[in-house]
Amino acid sequence: ETVNGSEDIDTSMDMLQRQKYHHKRAFEYISQALKIDETQNSEQKEIAINLYQEGINELSRGINIDVWQGTGEKWIKAQRLHDKMQTNLAMAKDRLNFLATGKLSSRRPANLTIMNK
Amino acid sequence: STVTTSIPQNDVDALMLKVADEAGLELNMELPSNPASTIGSTVQASAEQDELTARLAKLRQTE
Repeated sequence: ETVNGSEDIDTSMDMLQRQKYHHKRAFEYISQALKIDETQNSEQKEIAINLYQEGINELSRGINIDVWQGTGEKWIKAQRLHDKMQTNLAMAKDRLNFLATGKLSSRRPANLTIMNK
Repeated sequence: STVTTSIPQNDVDALMLKVADEAGLELNMELPSNPASTIGSTVQASAEQDELTARLAKLRQTE
């Protein structure tokens, strides 16, 4: 999988390191936001909102890194990480929207089931 | 006659320590140059993202 030469390996290391860097920062921000959110501490709601926003920014930066330019184990793992970050970007945005507006999400699974019937 | 017999044992010990020191120093200097060890593996990153998904999903259920 590394037949392309050392130049490509350096490029892949750089891209994959950057992806992990943004993942790590996003993870730290959103973990902190969740810690507040899970205790339903309304006094710290604004802090949680800011932390979610910072986490969302970092997830977006990580998702913007193109991980489809290579093949092999490293890239497949990076693509999986990309997909997971995309899932969490959508979920964190939903949660941020819920906290900021106090409204229930319109995409709740229960509602979808009723609408589909 | 050989020259080596005239070298005192203390000098040999000192040289051995010096060589060991230099080898140890080089070994230590190689450690930070491995970039994969600085941030963690992609597998670990994926597991951490899974943790966020689970916690966000749980909050969503309690809305």
